[in-house]
Amino acid sequence: MEKHSIVESVLDNLPVAVFAKDATNDFRFVLWNKKQEEVTTIRAEKALGKNDYHLFSQESADYFRSVDKAVIKRGSLMNVPEEIIETKHGREVHLRTIKIPVHDAETGRTLVVGISEDITEHVKSREQLERLNRHLVAANQELQQTQLQLIQAEKLESIGRLAAGVAHEVKNPLALLLLGVDYLAQGIHPDDPNIGRILHQMREAVERADRIVRGLVDFSSQRALTREPTQLARLIDEVLLLVKHELTRSSTKVSVRIEKDLPLVYLDMSKFEQVLINLIINAVHAMEKSESKVLKIRAHSESLEDVVKNQGARKREVFRSGDRVVILEIFDTGHGIAPQDSGRLFDPFFTTKATGVGTGLGLSVARRIVELHGGELSLKNRENESGAVARLILPTKLETGRIRTRPPDPQSEESTPAARKERKEIDTTAEDLTP
Amino acid sequence: MSRKILLIDDEVGFTELLKMNLERTGAYEVRIENDSTKALATVRSFMPDAIILDVVMPGMDGGDVQAQLQSNPLLARIPVVMLTALVDSTELSEGAVAQAGSQLVLPKPVNLPLLLNVLETLLVRA
Repeated sequence: MEKHSIVESVLDNLPVAVFAKDATNDFRFVLWNKKQEEVTTIRAEKALGKNDYHLFSQESADYFRSVDKAVIKRGSLMNVPEEIIETKHGREVHLRTIKIPVHDAETGRTLVVGISEDITEHVKSREQLERLNRHLVAANQELQQTQLQLIQAEKLESIGRLAAGVAHEVKNPLALLLLGVDYLAQGIHPDDPNIGRILHQMREAVERADRIVRGLVDFSSQRALTREPTQLARLIDEVLLLVKHELTRSSTKVSVRIEKDLPLVYLDMSKFEQVLINLIINAVHAMEKSESKVLKIRAHSESLEDVVKNQGARKREVFRSGDRVVILEIFDTGHGIAPQDSGRLFDPFFTTKATGVGTGLGLSVARRIVELHGGELSLKNRENESGAVARLILPTKLETGRIRTRPPDPQSEESTPAARKERKEIDTTAEDLTP
Repeated sequence: MSRKILLIDDEVGFTELLKMNLERTGAYEVRIENDSTKALATVRSFMPDAIILDVVMPGMDGGDVQAQLQSNPLLARIPVVMLTALVDSTELSEGAVAQAGSQLVLPKPVNLPLLLNVLETLLVRA
């Protein structure tokens, strides 16, 4: 077999389209293999001796010519990741093409050799994938929106349940104010030693009522998830104020201990108040028949290596080894979790409470909120003691992408190391919560 | 002779100001008990002529305290005014006060002239 026909045979059986244009003769085609015929639907005998302007549209030919000239100018290989040619049947073919300048010393010609791969099917699959992905993203956004609506609906539910207690808590400072006014209204004697004391108490009462009302307004506000650097101790203080009535009425003792210099956590205050209120109200309900009613809130930080051994695989997906996390635990002395309920606690609409007392959404919503924060919520019975413990693991870093975030404000009081140091370990009881 | 009044309420500021208001009339000697679990012991030692009792308190609520007082024949005779923020303030007519027994429930925030009136009525009757 002659050398010439061997090369031709190889070229015609290649799975890629190969062509060559003579740059020294108006870029006319001098090579056009079988696959090139197939891709362009133009036979070799029609193409050879012609240039792009004879075979393709003006626009396409202009483009091909500009690339060819660039290849010659550069004197090296050029990669065209994607180009489109339109066949005479109107079909669009997507090609990935490599163009190489070749100088033929024998004839003195400069050729542009092209090798094209038909990637039409790839492109179609990719476009379909992109379309699917767009649908998926839209569906996911819709789901997130629905979840936020569900969270808000559940929150309104708990505001309804808290309202009577909050009203009671506001009436107490109002009662004090009225007594102060009554006293002062009877005439003010400059020598009266009570006056200073009364004014001090009245001021405190106004501040307390304001704090309670503001807490409720903040809690009820509806907005997208906005995470800010938060001192967990401050959050717990605010929550205890909102549930104070429930704690007092049930004679629940509260003990809060928070590690000194606990790292800041990135939380949406309002949504996280919802989580803690849910967990505390659940604990209070669980302790209704207990002789000793103690709510213990503990928070400390750990490096993740310390916890990873005892946790499931899911956690290792959420957190990375070496991550610093904050662990918040809420212990109660209630009846604990019945074995048959343990698998269903976080199921929507699952409740052990009487009809009308709970919606059964509290825990499922609480877990969803915690997960939106990149954290974890679990609930189990206490070891060696009766009662249950809710355990929250919260990242101290802000992962990007998923949620709208606000970077820490260096000017803000909470983010200064001094402010963090100020928060020492505190241990308090329900009575101590009265400002 | 001033009458002895015992205030049983966990709200420290409220009891302090109520004490000042009552003592200012010159008619009362007032003692405060902010811990309801100690209420019975304080009643026994102070032996007040009337008790002003809060309803919602940690430990023992006003109902529990009242029940303990009622179970003791000596203490059951002491008139009790219960205060609570749980009920809405409604106008209590003179007639209602006159008709009430040795116990009355008044809403918080408390109307001071009304409270003084109620105390006088109960004390005269006792």
